[in-house]
Amino acid sequence: MNLEVFKQISDTNRWGLLLPEIYLVGLALILLVFEMLFRRQDLLLIVRVAIWGQVLLLGLMVLQYLEGFPTGSVTAFSGLLTQTPATEVMRLFFVAGSILVSFLATTYLRRQNLPRTEFFAITMLITVAMMVLVQSSQFVLFFVALETVTIGFYVLVAYCRQSPFSLEAGLKFLILGALSSAILLFGIVFLYGVAGNPALPGHVADSMNFADLASFIAANPTNPLVLIGTCLVLAGVAFKVGAVPFQIWIPDVYQGAPTPVTAFLAVSSKAAGVFVLLTLVRGPFASLHSFLVPLLSTVAVLTILFGNLTALPQRNVKRLMGLSGIAHAGYLLVGVVASMTVDWAVYAVVFYLITYLLASFGVFGVMIQMAGDDDSDQEVDHYEDLGQRHPFLAGVLTVGLGSLAGIPPLGGFIGKLLIFIAAFQAGLYGLLAASIIGVVISIYYYFGWIREAVFRVWRSPEGSPAQEGASTFTVSTVEIVTLGGLSALTIGIGIFPSLVDCLMRL
Amino acid sequence: MTLSLNSFLFVSGLLFAIGFFGVLLRRNVLVIFMSLEMMLNAAILALIAFSRFNGTMDGNLFVFFIITVAAAEIAVGLAIIVALFRKRQSVMVEQLSSLKN
Repeated sequence: MNLEVFKQISDTNRWGLLLPEIYLVGLALILLVFEMLFRRQDLLLIVRVAIWGQVLLLGLMVLQYLEGFPTGSVTAFSGLLTQTPATEVMRLFFVAGSILVSFLATTYLRRQNLPRTEFFAITMLITVAMMVLVQSSQFVLFFVALETVTIGFYVLVAYCRQSPFSLEAGLKFLILGALSSAILLFGIVFLYGVAGNPALPGHVADSMNFADLASFIAANPTNPLVLIGTCLVLAGVAFKVGAVPFQIWIPDVYQGAPTPVTAFLAVSSKAAGVFVLLTLVRGPFASLHSFLVPLLSTVAVLTILFGNLTALPQRNVKRLMGLSGIAHAGYLLVGVVASMTVDWAVYAVVFYLITYLLASFGVFGVMIQMAGDDDSDQEVDHYEDLGQRHPFLAGVLTVGLGSLAGIPPLGGFIGKLLIFIAAFQAGLYGLLAASIIGVVISIYYYFGWIREAVFRVWRSPEGSPAQEGASTFTVSTVEIVTLGGLSALTIGIGIFPSLVDCLMRL
Repeated sequence: MTLSLNSFLFVSGLLFAIGFFGVLLRRNVLVIFMSLEMMLNAAILALIAFSRFNGTMDGNLFVFFIITVAAAEIAVGLAIIVALFRKRQSVMVEQLSSLKN
């Protein structure tokens, strides 16, 4: 064997590029050790270590980027990883998401009396897998990272082992998730097989690699096996995002899963899926432009209309967030389609994801406070008179929902605007029309919820079931600061969008 | 007699189709789970065949990762099915429909 080859390969293993991931894995393992050492003695210690450890990581990453944000792309581990400015922003995004999920979970798990340590550890491991997933540029790493995310989510969705709802949601997610993984895998196998076929022109030796695959597909854009493989891979990713033919799991799983997990699925998992889709359509599948644009456009239009129309009559807030999340996946798909012709659409998508993170976690935070000790108050009717009962929570809810609906002074508006401009520049007028119709529909159900919470609704004097079971609130200072901070950021990004923009321009 | 690539791919496609329709049509969760594994195995067979006929080793390597992932999936999946069976005393999908509007 030629030792020089091994030396060249090992020289590209730059572990320093993966320090945040290594730190998070270490933190997760330390938590498990603490659980063994301090069992039952100091639960607060584990919570503190989990959350402050992640906040420290986020702080260190931000400090490092303030010194000099990476420009251009870096490839390491012999082509397994590619880091670009966009992936760096996504890594920050996932760490921030992980902190917020852990934070929501402290309240939720304490009320439900569920074990905490495992939850934090699994959350961090999923986050690491998502961070690796967005950087992966090779199908083996891609598949393993994606499956780590999915299998971690099976555990988290079924985390309330005493609740039949949670278990049932877990089983549904398990079956459909495994089905989509198998479809994705079959697509990868097809692409691998056809790209390495020595009989075809432009065949490549390393056909799992995105860059090599891109050069092969550019040489054979009409090969039927390439098209089948591409469709299967995109179908598998579309499942994670919740795009239309693969959206059936979303309402049930979102409703049954513990609320912090619903937030995690809605924000981080969807963001990972969308970003992976961006990498794929701009990388290996870029030469299938004329085939993918009509296909993805159709999916995007159907996703937007399906999400908004099914959310209209919905009264359960978790299902409402799930179904409206499908619509948001549709807007993000518009950005993905636009990014095939307009380069800066990638940043429009990332910006949208950031505003979606801020707004969604605010709303989910209020939902956890509202749901009561047994997590049963999940109807829109339960939010009646929230404005009188707890004006602060009502304010956070209004800002969050307003941003999701895309009301001008808030962050969500700028996010939608950027995506629409990108779609306009790419000449996707049909998609633009469908998105605007979708936004108009969405204002109806988001404002129905806001109206229930903030404005006094006339009810017949004898029947108002929500009032009797109205839960009392004990919102701690930390929760007020965090939720208030999320709302402030949502408003701040809406007024000064350059806050995020300067992060990406660097 | 040597088999051609197409015969391997035919068997693989058949296994995948059986698994796919098994997931869609069967009512017992355990059988659905077996069908899912069959789909993964179909992918593995195709991978090995491609690897052999293309003369690259990536496919063989990938198989080990897939087997590991499948094992993790089964471990988590069976745990969920057992926990659900303890709650519901059933593994039939018709009886698992408490999540509705």
